[in-house]
Amino acid sequence: MESGIRVLLLIAVLAALDGCASVRNWYQQRHAGSNPPATAQSSTPADDQTTEGAPPRVIEPQVERRPVKVPNIHSSNIELGLYYGALSIEDFGVNPVYGVTAAYHVTEDFFFQAEAGRSHGGLTSYEVLSGNAPLLTGSERRFTYYDLSLGYNFLPGEAFIGRGIAMTSAFYLLGGIGSTDFAGDTKFTVNFGAGYRIVPRDWLAFHVTVEDHVFQSSLLGYTKLTNNLEARLGTTVFF
Amino acid sequence: MVLAWLLTPAAAGARDYLQLFVTQPYLELHTGPGRGYPVFHVVPRDESIDVLFRRTDWFKVRTEHGVEGWASQHDMQQLTLADGSPFRFDLGDRAGFTSHRYEMGIFAGAWGGANLISAYYSVSFNSQMALEGAVGQFLGRYSNGETGDLGLMHVLLPESRWSPFLTLGIGTVHTEPKATLVQPTDRTEPTAYVGGGIRFYLTRRFFLRAEYKAHYIFTTRNENEEADEWKAGFAFFF
Repeated sequence: MESGIRVLLLIAVLAALDGCASVRNWYQQRHAGSNPPATAQSSTPADDQTTEGAPPRVIEPQVERRPVKVPNIHSSNIELGLYYGALSIEDFGVNPVYGVTAAYHVTEDFFFQAEAGRSHGGLTSYEVLSGNAPLLTGSERRFTYYDLSLGYNFLPGEAFIGRGIAMTSAFYLLGGIGSTDFAGDTKFTVNFGAGYRIVPRDWLAFHVTVEDHVFQSSLLGYTKLTNNLEARLGTTVFF
Repeated sequence: MVLAWLLTPAAAGARDYLQLFVTQPYLELHTGPGRGYPVFHVVPRDESIDVLFRRTDWFKVRTEHGVEGWASQHDMQQLTLADGSPFRFDLGDRAGFTSHRYEMGIFAGAWGGANLISAYYSVSFNSQMALEGAVGQFLGRYSNGETGDLGLMHVLLPESRWSPFLTLGIGTVHTEPKATLVQPTDRTEPTAYVGGGIRFYLTRRFFLRAEYKAHYIFTTRNENEEADEWKAGFAFFF
């Protein structure tokens, strides 16, 4: 009886020892496959959660995404140019005119345009017929104007030269206000007109423009509205 | 060395273009920067494009095969960057009206009873405060002249379509009386002004602006003068 109790106690002590304790996990070891129990015990709880139930990973991706730096996209909305043409100054004949334009394209439809031009008034019919009775001095005949206009593009299209060359084009309307310095006085001026723009390169354009500059004049003794029509050719560069 | 220096900017310039990827079924390319110009090419999904430059709401792009064309702002919003994030840029819409950096405009109006032509430019510090400069020319029956103003503008309701504002600043006025008057000498005098007005958002980048300024002209004569300025016109932000 006493020896029987000893045998039971010995079995209990052996079962509590480390060597036999590892046998407790043998069922799990078969299911866990290659993972030895010693490493499983030494790993962190978080690792246990990821490895259990998930398929084994062959390669851990170590790629860091590079943040894309967006470069500044150049905006090409400014159009600067020169023009040359003919200006019909009411009562003073048709004379050459030249000038500069600066435009800012706000949308595909609308643009703002500033222009400044200069011409020189000729002789009136009276001066020609009377022979030698000048109405104005040389500097007073200088016709200088500027205006600020709003432009509207319409009828966009393409112009073709032969089979291989296509250039975008558009008609536009212009309307604005400005001032005209002529005959020793500066007058408030309303301008309106229309033009055709052809764009052979993204940075280059050619224009044909017809514009009327309307202002009040009392030069000939009574006040009247004068219409000063201008037709011109121009070239502009986009920036 | 010189050759390398000459070639480097071109090479660097070529690399500076933004590369975007087409994630929608296709990207349409137009012949010109406008909805009226026809579509002549489509870029299929998963191909990339280089963004060359922008004109108003259109982008000039180049495909992998070297085809160049114009893509609309609406279509460009559907593209993604190389890291998969969507391409975002300044749209010039109603949100831009509330908060923008620069604005510019032209006006017609009256300055002390004379016709006025005026233009202004402003730089915003935030959605409510801006520094603005204005130049104008007035042409009247008795005198002509030029004005220049520099001041602050405070927008009261920047998120509203009708947004009122207040202005305060200083300026100068150059007056040229017509020769038939008794006092024909030209004069340039400092001014100060206080005013207010309203802006109304139209569409895209455009808005209307109407304003009033009360100018106080500090003359060398016994009494200072006052002049009213009323004007209205078109303006845009960018």
